[in-house]
Amino acid sequence: MQRDIGKPMFDLLLVIASAAAFAVSTTLPNIEIIGDLSPAFFPKLISALVFVFAVPCLIKDVREWQAADTRNERTISSRGVVQWLLIVALTLGYILIFERLGYIVSTAIFTFSCVIGLLLASGTWHELTSARRVRSLAGAAIFAIVLAVVIFYVFTELFEIPLPA
Amino acid sequence: MISGYLDGLGMVLQFGTLLAIAGGTLLGIIMGALPGLTSAMAVALLLPVTFGMPPVMGIGMMLGALCGAGASGSIPAILLNIPGTPSSVATTFDGFPMAKKGEAGRALGLSIVASFLGGIASMVILSLLAPPIADFALRFGAAEYFSLSVFGLVIIASVAGKSLLKGLIAGLLGFFVSIIGTDPITGVDRFTFGELSLLTGVNLLPALIGLFAVSQVLKDAFEYDPHQRLKDSGHRIDVARPRFLETLKHWRALLVGILSGSIVGPVPGAGGSIASLVAYDQARRFSRHPEKFGTGHAPGIVSVESANNALLGGALIPTLALGIPGEAATAVLLGGLMIQGVTPGPMLFDDQSGIVHGIFLAYLVANIFMLLIMCLGIKLFIRVLMVPRKQLLSAILVLCFIGVYGVDGDVFNLYLMLGFGILGYFLNRYGFGTAPVILGLILGPIAESNLRRGLQAFEGDWTPFFTRPISLTFLVIAAGLLVLTLWQNYRANRVPVQASKEGANP
Repeated sequence: MQRDIGKPMFDLLLVIASAAAFAVSTTLPNIEIIGDLSPAFFPKLISALVFVFAVPCLIKDVREWQAADTRNERTISSRGVVQWLLIVALTLGYILIFERLGYIVSTAIFTFSCVIGLLLASGTWHELTSARRVRSLAGAAIFAIVLAVVIFYVFTELFEIPLPA
Repeated sequence: MISGYLDGLGMVLQFGTLLAIAGGTLLGIIMGALPGLTSAMAVALLLPVTFGMPPVMGIGMMLGALCGAGASGSIPAILLNIPGTPSSVATTFDGFPMAKKGEAGRALGLSIVASFLGGIASMVILSLLAPPIADFALRFGAAEYFSLSVFGLVIIASVAGKSLLKGLIAGLLGFFVSIIGTDPITGVDRFTFGELSLLTGVNLLPALIGLFAVSQVLKDAFEYDPHQRLKDSGHRIDVARPRFLETLKHWRALLVGILSGSIVGPVPGAGGSIASLVAYDQARRFSRHPEKFGTGHAPGIVSVESANNALLGGALIPTLALGIPGEAATAVLLGGLMIQGVTPGPMLFDDQSGIVHGIFLAYLVANIFMLLIMCLGIKLFIRVLMVPRKQLLSAILVLCFIGVYGVDGDVFNLYLMLGFGILGYFLNRYGFGTAPVILGLILGPIAESNLRRGLQAFEGDWTPFFTRPISLTFLVIAAGLLVLTLWQNYRANRVPVQASKEGANP
């Protein structure tokens, strides 16, 4: 069995989040309408149920984690984590610049950064010769510009979906 | 019924609609052929494109994507021994050995025709079974709808997650998200934290795209390894010739596949991989030469591929008739229907019979396009497999952005999409599943509004929910399923414990 600390950590997060949601639910105003339930009824019920279900999951996953062979520790690839964080960070950045810089510029920057970022994060960049690096940069730039422009025209002209200019 | 079909035919046989269905099918084929990308993701990416379309055109496009993705998972399965979708895992058992014998074109021809026939048969089953079920559901009142929603949540939580508790937690998370916003009865703001964009609730589209597309991109980003490139299989195929006669010769395997897909399809959460494995197993049992299975035997391919596409028609029965999707892809389709302003359920069959029959016919046309596009474009789809992942991931994210931003031009929805993407990534990683979240999001408001409406009508009395026969039946089945699943989980956990004890004391 693989040893993965992430599983019990995620369960713990659910336990804490559901307890917090229940606490916030108790602050909702209690408006009485004949025969109707309070607006806090379902938030309280759902958060309580998530708490009740998440606790046994947490106990089971902690036990499994303790029982699992330490030699079989699930090694989280640091490269994978870096690539994952990179995509999350770039997506967040894309959201921030999407309206400010307009669709075409922000999309071209985002796409170019994704392609080159993954090349760097995966370690491939260091394996390339300088000529291949220049080619990769040029290829990524062309891909980013063409993708941004083609999608802009397809969606704004063909499907009439307004995008920030 | 005939007038419904005539109305539907009028909606489908328009140039724009046919083009949309063909476009959806093409996208579905490409997504299905790329290992790791799912049919649910294809539909999620199509949602924004279908905004401005008439219902049958938009839904036809999404059905085309589902149909194409259901069939094209066989391409990498046959040529590279890599299943494009989970449901084509069983295609590798006989498809790849047949390709290795130098008969890749034959394997593809068989799989395409089996998919086509499976799809057509399931369309017939769908059009025969969905209307009577919807007709029956017309008797439902608030109590029955509440119980049906609870039943739907329980059944999908039981089968979608790796454990019952985790499936239930995922469903409840979706339910919780659905209550965010202004309470429709009292006007109280719930969990909006002063954010104006949340007053009308969490928009379905960022949730769908985040959970099914962004989470998949994040998974791919985590696993991205530039050194693991797909190598060209070396099988030279320009056109995959459809093999109708040979497929029909294996009618027994075809029938087994169609029946397996049609029976497994309506079971919420069961999914394509179960249907195809059941079909493969049953086809081998009924075969006169079971020993040939796994060696490049044609009935192995025919049974699996016909089950894959028969599954979709089966899954559409509860989706359209009751508003409860059969699996993840139809859950996204259900979201798409609601965004289109079409509310699935019995009233749809009563009020908009033309649209319903148009959907049946669009599904039929999608299968025909799938056959044509797969046969003619096989060389292109093999090329698609070689597209570098880093370019593909960024392009998918850009499409996700456009889709979500296009709903109402609100940047807040983009943050929601990313949030749901991260949540979906961890839910999948730790065995909770994302399909129950969507079910919770869709069924949650139905459950809440009908419970409260019912209680108002019954003056606060809860007993009608447990005494009305249909309502009681749904609740009893839901409770029975919970107990059964808990028992199965308990037994499954006991077996390894016993085995380890026996191993320690031989």
